[in-house]
Amino acid sequence: MWTMILTTVCIVMTMVMAVYVIWFYQSGLVEETEKESYDKYYIMITEDSKSSIWKSIYQGACERALEENAYVDWLGDTLFEEYSVEELMQIATASAVDGIIVTANENDELTGLINEAAAEGIPVVTLYGDNTKSARCSFVGVGSYNMGREYGKQALKIINERREEETAEGAIGLIVEKDGMVQAAVEEDGILGSKNRPVKVAVLVNAYAQDLDQNILCSGIQETIEQERSEDIEIELSLISVDDTNAFSVEESIRDIFMEQDVPDIMICLNELTTTCVYQAVVDYNKVGEVSILGYYDSDTIIHAIDRNVIYATVAIDTKQMGGFCIDALQEYHELGYTSQYFTADIRLICKDNVAEYLKRGENADEIP
Amino acid sequence: MKFRKLSSISLQVKISSIYIFTNLLVMIVNVILLLGINNISNRLDMVYQDNLHLNELSDSLTVVQDNMTDYLSSKTSDSLEDYYRSEQDYRMMLEDLNEEITGISFDRMERNIKYMSEDYLEEVSQTIEAKRGRNVEKYRIHYEKATQMYEYINTYISSLNMEKFRNNSEQYSALLQRFRLFEVTSLISMVLVMTSNVCIIISFVGTSIRPLKKLAGSADEVAKGNFDIELLPVESEDEVGVVTGAFNQMVVSIGKYIERLRESMEAERALKERELMMEAHLKDARLKYLQAQINPHFLFNTLNAGAQLAMMEGADRTYDYVQKVAQFYRYNMKKSEETVTIEDEIEMVDYYVYILNVRFAGDIHYEKKIDPSLLSVEMPGMILQPIVENCVNHGIREMGSEGKICLSVYRVEHSVCISVKDNGIGMSRETIDKVMSGTYREEGMAAGSNGIGMDNVISRMKLFTKNEDVMAISSEGEGMGTEVFLYLNDRQETRQE
Repeated sequence: MWTMILTTVCIVMTMVMAVYVIWFYQSGLVEETEKESYDKYYIMITEDSKSSIWKSIYQGACERALEENAYVDWLGDTLFEEYSVEELMQIATASAVDGIIVTANENDELTGLINEAAAEGIPVVTLYGDNTKSARCSFVGVGSYNMGREYGKQALKIINERREEETAEGAIGLIVEKDGMVQAAVEEDGILGSKNRPVKVAVLVNAYAQDLDQNILCSGIQETIEQERSEDIEIELSLISVDDTNAFSVEESIRDIFMEQDVPDIMICLNELTTTCVYQAVVDYNKVGEVSILGYYDSDTIIHAIDRNVIYATVAIDTKQMGGFCIDALQEYHELGYTSQYFTADIRLICKDNVAEYLKRGENADEIP
Repeated sequence: MKFRKLSSISLQVKISSIYIFTNLLVMIVNVILLLGINNISNRLDMVYQDNLHLNELSDSLTVVQDNMTDYLSSKTSDSLEDYYRSEQDYRMMLEDLNEEITGISFDRMERNIKYMSEDYLEEVSQTIEAKRGRNVEKYRIHYEKATQMYEYINTYISSLNMEKFRNNSEQYSALLQRFRLFEVTSLISMVLVMTSNVCIIISFVGTSIRPLKKLAGSADEVAKGNFDIELLPVESEDEVGVVTGAFNQMVVSIGKYIERLRESMEAERALKERELMMEAHLKDARLKYLQAQINPHFLFNTLNAGAQLAMMEGADRTYDYVQKVAQFYRYNMKKSEETVTIEDEIEMVDYYVYILNVRFAGDIHYEKKIDPSLLSVEMPGMILQPIVENCVNHGIREMGSEGKICLSVYRVEHSVCISVKDNGIGMSRETIDKVMSGTYREEGMAAGSNGIGMDNVISRMKLFTKNEDVMAISSEGEGMGTEVFLYLNDRQETRQE
């Protein structure tokens, strides 16, 4: 009896083994046949492939493209040699793709390349930075003027908060400090924003970029501050050029600012890298509290900095939406032969008040691989 | 139905098929495993095939570029020819590249390489055309473009190659891991198959041998003589089944045969018993008859009265005669079932001879040679008288002349011998043998006989002495007389003492 049972068990086990072996074959075959074909093939070209903002935009574009049965490749990421945007444009054009998404600037060489691609029948969408002179079919960016206004509002808010603090501290200072020198100094300098001590607001701009958007953004800041500031506050708005010509120059330029005597009270950063660098410099030079930072983008580092009160606020772009718009523009162009000239992605302000939900989101994102 | 069919298969077929089945199982598993190993090794071989192809592509591209440069610098027809050939080769290789847009980045990169290469080849051919047309400015521009494109393509191929290499390496290690897993799996499945085979064989042999074992057990029982065994059930129709059936039949047949034998023996025994009973009854009846006929006491008293009458009348001889007849009958009546002494027996013979001599007027000469020390030896009663009677009836009476009887009692070594000798007609050898074996039958009861035959004498002597050699008869031939010897154990005498 027991031998019968054992035999049956053994035979069953052998069958299971056989099934396993067959599965073993099949799995090999399935791997090879699991291909999906797509209708359209787009290429995305960006200045650098490291910043999380581009990754996020690429991800957005990818998701949108898959919905439309298209595929987007981020060109700089796949090649192991570093190429400039212009060179990558040439490669993309030669590859006869169905559409190019490129972070452009007002460079003439790039204009030529975009026109060349357009002549080959490849629609080009400029992303984030525009090349207005070229034959690009659409531009996807942020509302720079609105963004500028947001920065302006935030700057004024900072000024008001700090003046209130100083008024309180100053009063206490007069009582406590009996020493004439100090007292005289306080009176001489006056409160932040007074005639003797105007608020120094610095906008960190890219030095060599002939970027129209940047100019619009700056004017947005300027106008907001001019229009909405109270009469008694003196504000000096300045543009500080940050050298972004090579890989490490941004960080150096920012350190240079802090090495000078006259460190700005409020620093407005217009890209992710600058924000990160300024944040690190403020911590290193022990200027937390003295220098308020208005950042750009919502990387984890920046969100945590807001949480620690080092960065006052940051303006985040809906990067997913931005990537999606690029694909929408190209698809629309393929379908209709034309498309909207401008797509504007939404922006959100992240400050101390709502940073918690972004922190939570970051943690959750970590959990999901 | 199915089981029935299965049980009717012969043992040879069963054993053969079970071995074929197990071997087949092992072979199938081996083949599957071999195929698996073959499959994996093929895939291992194929892993770096892509890289080789890409290297070939890159080499071919370089050849095109070199040939173009060659032509531009030397403008020989050879280099032009080389260029065309290499361009053709490169185009052929491009044919194999993927063109579709798929989710796999390698495919897309291949597609890009293909399109860029076509662009590049266009540019190169324009360069060649311009060179042939001696359009210096144009071919320079095209050459530069082509060279740049060549670099891009090379970079692209290298990147793809690199990516593929990385991927293939991962795949390779994954394959190796699977190979290890497969090895373990193979080992386990082999062990399992072996175990199952062993189990199948054990269970099969067990089922096949079980009836044989039972058969052996039963045969052992039968060998010990126990035929009352339970008949074995015939489970299958194979050789074992046939043997079991035959055995069952054999056991039944033997049982029946033994029964029949026993019955016939029983019948024979009953028959014999009946015969004996009849004889016994006959004897019994005869005795009863005699008893009924002659009331001994009455006869004895009658004779006594006769004797007294003779004495009163003064007839002494008559008185003596009647007295002795009365003594003889009394002895006859009293001692026939008892143990007596030799003396008693001799006295009895004396009476008998006296009576006969009176009857036949002294025909018989009676002589006695007796060792007196042996007179007290015990012996069964009514032995000597029948012997003497036989001597008279068969030996002497038929003889015309005077008969002689000699009775001697003497010692022979440790036994006592009583000899009765006559000078009668003697006995033939056959008659002696017949008498000794007890098969001699007398026709009719002779007159004056007390009805005790020689066979009765012999058997009673045998019972008494517990010895076989109790009597011997010797006769020296016709007319030479007969001598009968009786042997008694000395111990009867000892007991007496």
